[in-house]
Amino acid sequence: MARARKGRRFITTTVEVEGREEVKVVEMPAFDVAPWGDDAALTIVGQRAPRVDALEKTTGRARYTADIARPGMLHAVLVRAHAAAGVATVDASVARAMRGVLDVITADEVAGQLASGGAKLFERTIRYSGQPVAAVCAETLGAARAAAAAVRVSVAPAPFVVTYDASVAPGAPSVKGSGSNLALNSPLVESRGDIAAGLAKAQVTVSLTVRTPCALHSALEPHGAVAEWEGDRLVVWESTQGVFRVRANLAAAFRLPHTHVRVLCDFMGGGFGAKNAAGPHTYAAAFLARRLQLPVRCLVDREGEQLDTGNRPASLQRITLGARRDGRLTAIRCEAEIPLGVMGWEGGPAKIYHELYSCPNVHTTEAFALVNTSAMQAFRAPGHAEGAFGLERAMDLLARKLGMDPVALRVKNFAKKDEEKQRPWSGNGLLRCYEEGARRFGWSERRAALAGGDARAAVARDARVSRGASASLAREAVVDGRRVRRGIGVAAQCWGTGGGPPAYALVRLNADGTATVLTGTQDLGTGARTVFAQVAAEALGMTLAQVRCVIGDTERLPYTGNSWGSMTTPSVAPAVRMAAEDARAQLFEAAAEMLGVAPESLSASAGTIRSSATDQTMTYAAVAKKLGEVCIIGRGSRGPNVPKTGIFSFGAQFAEVEVDVDTGVVRVLRIVAAHDCGRVLNPTLAESQLEGGILQGLGYALFEERVLDASLGLPLNPSLHDYKVPTMVDAPVIEAFCVGGADATANHVGARGLAEPPIIPTAPAIANAVADALGAEPLEIPLTPWRMLGLAPR
Amino acid sequence: MHLHVNGRAREVHAPGHASLLTVLREQLALTGTKEGCGHGECGACTVLVDGRPEYACLTLVGAVDDAKITTIEGLGSPAAPHPLQIAFAALDATQCGFCTPGQVVSAAALLAQNANPSEAEIREAMVGNLCRCGTYPKIIAAILAVARGEYGALPEGAR
Ligand code: FES
Ligand code: FES
Repeated sequence: MARARKGRRFITTTVEVEGREEVKVVEMPAFDVAPWGDDAALTIVGQRAPRVDALEKTTGRARYTADIARPGMLHAVLVRAHAAAGVATVDASVARAMRGVLDVITADEVAGQLASGGAKLFERTIRYSGQPVAAVCAETLGAARAAAAAVRVSVAPAPFVVTYDASVAPGAPSVKGSGSNLALNSPLVESRGDIAAGLAKAQVTVSLTVRTPCALHSALEPHGAVAEWEGDRLVVWESTQGVFRVRANLAAAFRLPHTHVRVLCDFMGGGFGAKNAAGPHTYAAAFLARRLQLPVRCLVDREGEQLDTGNRPASLQRITLGARRDGRLTAIRCEAEIPLGVMGWEGGPAKIYHELYSCPNVHTTEAFALVNTSAMQAFRAPGHAEGAFGLERAMDLLARKLGMDPVALRVKNFAKKDEEKQRPWSGNGLLRCYEEGARRFGWSERRAALAGGDARAAVARDARVSRGASASLAREAVVDGRRVRRGIGVAAQCWGTGGGPPAYALVRLNADGTATVLTGTQDLGTGARTVFAQVAAEALGMTLAQVRCVIGDTERLPYTGNSWGSMTTPSVAPAVRMAAEDARAQLFEAAAEMLGVAPESLSASAGTIRSSATDQTMTYAAVAKKLGEVCIIGRGSRGPNVPKTGIFSFGAQFAEVEVDVDTGVVRVLRIVAAHDCGRVLNPTLAESQLEGGILQGLGYALFEERVLDASLGLPLNPSLHDYKVPTMVDAPVIEAFCVGGADATANHVGARGLAEPPIIPTAPAIANAVADALGAEPLEIPLTPWRMLGLAPR
Repeated sequence: MHLHVNGRAREVHAPGHASLLTVLREQLALTGTKEGCGHGECGACTVLVDGRPEYACLTLVGAVDDAKITTIEGLGSPAAPHPLQIAFAALDATQCGFCTPGQVVSAAALLAQNANPSEAEIREAMVGNLCRCGTYPKIIAAILAVARGEYGALPEGAR
């Protein structure tokens, strides 16, 4: 039962987002909520409930931004410059004269009218290929597209740089127009212990240089916005990971108070980090809608999506590991170079080198160079996916040099605490991930069989569908007439997933005894809407069907932050639970009055309240009916995290691959993924997230790379045809699961985040398996056939 | 021009070279069919044309004015869902859901042709439908479950 909290209402505390720390003043929750530990008797949370909105999605009724149609709505299309640097001249005379075209805006029309992020709308100076220079607005989408194609953009070329080396070379052209191309206080140095001493102490060292590609988010739903002015108030539907951030962006750009901007996002078709703010399409839609006094929809087309909505930048990592002969790490060093694009932030590969293993001496440097390519945006586990490829490949080489089992080497170097920040973990199930993952994968048996060399090929053929650990495995086999080599690999992961304040929720009890959860978050496909309904139903003592969760509206819903940093669940779920507990406590007071008992004697489940004093029962519906239109609203907020504690999720993945020795094609047969994210609110949705992360990691490992023509500075593959994401044919058998139970230290719901972790270890696990198969060291992803054929055997 | 969509004759005003996708979405408000690329790369726009799966974004309306077109809305509704729509929902073969209508329509076309597909046949048939959220394993499970009859009998043919 709720207890009013004593002490200060607002405190200053540190909040972590994707490894970065911010000091903030946060509100303490009005009352304490007892944590749901492992012994909590939960009946809805933790169950495999189907998504509450699943049928809407499978029947095509779910409405996404592009599906919003407003009376009189016009269609806008962005026009882009296809040159890496220079000054653009836009000739829209033909387009303006075309049928159905109402307006064309370029730098001339917009100049000086928008502030803040909006001020960037249509700069004449081109700094990367794909930069928008104009927007065409027409009666129909077809007319707008045709007219956009008729806008002539010529660019008086200027010198540019698109590679790291060219960017930092003496005399390189400045990407910003003046000043050095080195960005973000490069080199960023982070160090603990004494790296020289650590290397001197090492009995075995490995050194390697790895490269990772520039990867594109490629959400299936491109960015888009629909803007409509109601007088001097702006309403925008946006496909976004953060409705409140988009509201702030628009309010700043149009110099409006927050009361005059409403941002909505009900269903959205994936973000993966690319949809965290308003974009040129948003500003263009709102600007045109104001000029023309009609609603305007502006959707980014697929080419624009691949050119200019963000990316995971490429990296080069020079790594040295030192260890004693027993496998204990004495030194970890990484020097990274990152060509960032025209803008970005410090999401580099270094952090995981400090976090994942126990090692007294760790030293990393990251140099970020601006280049004339589109800006980076956080992409699912920014930095860690790149860093894990380097670190986990290095650990694989080290294991081989030491003659150790790669799993045993990782177990040996398990970090019992967060050594980077010298603080305990709130919980860390990584050892169980190694153990349970290896067991389900059949790691030891497979390693032994592969080492044996010539187990029979016929047995190997079954390996692809075998989920068990018993099948023998031949190093070489002939499968359907193809000569293949087989291998297995492992890699591990950690990622800060604590979430934190501010996040708010309201729970409103309706006059029929049902409840509505109101929280201004967004569901990117994670299932947030579903798990929050589960949490509220659990706390209220209702059935899931009695609870509806409303999200994605800045005007009518309380604040929550962006859905990034795997923090929506750990940030918002505690607020939802608290709001539900508050509402329930209020309803219990009313029921107590009606039943003539003390509120403390009441409990509820499945929508029925029961008094332990008198054994009387009363349904929520009956209480609500008697109350009439009395409005019971529960209020919940997310309190700060416990201080000096590392709240992380962990995982280990095991990969089995076969490499066609004649064509170089890598096929991933199987991934076993064991993750620890504290309490799992819904195992089915958790598995789906794990599978999704693994498949994106598989794409990163095998196919995905933005290809640039370095001499022209142009991206060559801005389509889903040429930028290959995994298809159903590429999907391996995936066995993904969570170990570990409630993390009551992390928050009172016991859950940590899970969205980003699964992409982190997949690529190195696959590459380590390829190394095992070929007896050669792949040091660069994607593992394309030509790269595989060119690998020199060890 | 007349189109035969989801069992109804519909009058549309579009040049023959307009894409079926645009006409469905913008004129008939059948927004369940999604545009992920507009160029035949993703499958989000898949509809049935006389029972065959086609990319609506690459289909000209003029070429299908005498064909029977079935969209995701024509397969079923939340009140009366198609077995595949139930199975996709029950087995979590949808995450963000943006690819889902196209996936369901492709799966319906497959099952109409091959009532008992193997896992390999499913993968082959569905290769043109991308899912960036990674629902492939669950989609395979859902199609196999529907083929086994676990979610009810399939309606006779495509409408
Ligand atoms: S929208 Fe038609 S295939 Fe992508
Ligand atoms: S569910 Fe998101 S693209 Fe498939």
